[in-house]
Amino acid sequence: MGTYFELEKLELLKAQFDTAEYDTEQAEPALYIGKEQLLELMRVLRETPTYSFDRMGMLTAVDYKEYIEMVYSLYSRRYDKWVTVKVKLDRDNPEVESMTQIWEGTNFEERETYDLMGVKFLHHPDLRRILMPDNYEAHPLRKDFVPLEPRIEGGVLTWHKQRSMS
Amino acid sequence: MAQTEKYVLNMGPQHPSTHGVLQVQVELDGENIVGAKPVMGYLHRGIEKLMESRTYVQCVPFTDRLDYVSAMNNNLGFCMAVEKLAGIEVPERAEFIRVICAELNRIASHHVFIGSLTNDLGSATGMIYAFRDREKILDLFNIICGARMTAHYIRIGGVAADAQDEFLRDTQKFIDYVPEMLDEYNKLFSGNEIFQARMKKTSIITKEMALKFGMSGPNIRASGVDYDIRKIDKYGAYGKFDFDVPLGKRGDNWDRYMIRMKEIAESAKIIQQALDNMPEGPYMAKVPKVLRPPKGDAYHRVENTRGELGFYIVSDGSTKPYRVHIRRPSFVNLQALDTMCKGMLLADAVTAFATIDPLMGEVDC
Repeated sequence: MGTYFELEKLELLKAQFDTAEYDTEQAEPALYIGKEQLLELMRVLRETPTYSFDRMGMLTAVDYKEYIEMVYSLYSRRYDKWVTVKVKLDRDNPEVESMTQIWEGTNFEERETYDLMGVKFLHHPDLRRILMPDNYEAHPLRKDFVPLEPRIEGGVLTWHKQRSMS
Repeated sequence: MAQTEKYVLNMGPQHPSTHGVLQVQVELDGENIVGAKPVMGYLHRGIEKLMESRTYVQCVPFTDRLDYVSAMNNNLGFCMAVEKLAGIEVPERAEFIRVICAELNRIASHHVFIGSLTNDLGSATGMIYAFRDREKILDLFNIICGARMTAHYIRIGGVAADAQDEFLRDTQKFIDYVPEMLDEYNKLFSGNEIFQARMKKTSIITKEMALKFGMSGPNIRASGVDYDIRKIDKYGAYGKFDFDVPLGKRGDNWDRYMIRMKEIAESAKIIQQALDNMPEGPYMAKVPKVLRPPKGDAYHRVENTRGELGFYIVSDGSTKPYRVHIRRPSFVNLQALDTMCKGMLLADAVTAFATIDPLMGEVDC
């Protein structure tokens, strides 16, 4: 995947954003950022000519039980560089700015993350479930997920919490 | 002038031209399409979740079921991501066999594309021709690993079994047949006037739109963006081969079709070079019986038939992955469907579905 973003430039970003952090021990450290500054950081990464990360390669969330982590993998076609940006979110109320404001093509991936992990994306144009049924109330990729029980009620397929796990 | 009114037509999930269980809600004004919304999830099996409760080795067969007409490429992506995470070096012979299999599967997948496209356009003959030639590749897979579609041949650390002389000989025979095959296709479809009229200047995706939607694979290259992961990342043994990346100009259905025809020739070129320079040696690295990659995460992407396929794996140091995320190319590509269909006639929507080439096993994951 080309080479990783230069450490000097990560240092520059750290000076520019007060919530930015990275592990200096690692060879390819992920850039951690506070969720308030995420949108601004991404704008800088995309629009600064010396960075020009024009491609959102991958976007997902990981449930670490204490918190939920958003992972963004960005790629610059111009310089053949890539960088990972991570944001830690509160597990009970995960909310983050939508990247569709910068990369329109993240629409479906954000909907998927919302559907399966329950992360709410602010200012998303069409935040609905994409893979699971619309009336499903759990988020399957959470670590404490218990499958819901399907039942037909009045000719409609509904989903209910399991009564007992015998 | 007749009064018209907008209405919504559901195409799929059971429809002969929607390639699996894709449902598209087409908003129509008479015969003109105003909008097309893809509805997914009919084939959602929760592969990402299933992988969390299985060991790394047990995860590989699941990847076969993602993009089931190009299983080898999926195996390759997952295995390379695990190898990156666990720091496993793959022997050179295995890398060459992997490239041969991946490229053969790319050709087979393009056969499905050509076959279903021509079928959708009303020429069932085309499908028979494409599937006849695809059968030759599936037979090759049968020789090398005993499976035809869900191969599970590329394993973590190498490949499941060495390539026999029979396989290499028959692959050579197939590669010699490719120019003749493409000639026949060109005579049969590409030169056809109706085929051209249906394909040219319909469902245009401009360069800007393709980049905006984050598209990848032949679909973005048809719009003239030079973006091929095989060329950019040179993963595996791809750096050792000489091949071109065919590009389109207009980004219409015709370009998306022609790109794939040209890609078949390029894939054949790669396989020929791999066969000529096939190194000797082991076909499998020394992989521990119980694989415990160190704590951490890795993202690896490969050029699948449909575009940029990425695997993001988080390891907590145990035998099972803590989290697997799959970046599926046709899922992301489907975002362009609305723009492609807008302003077209309903009959052209079928062509658009076919040339964007979604595979529901992969979209729904």
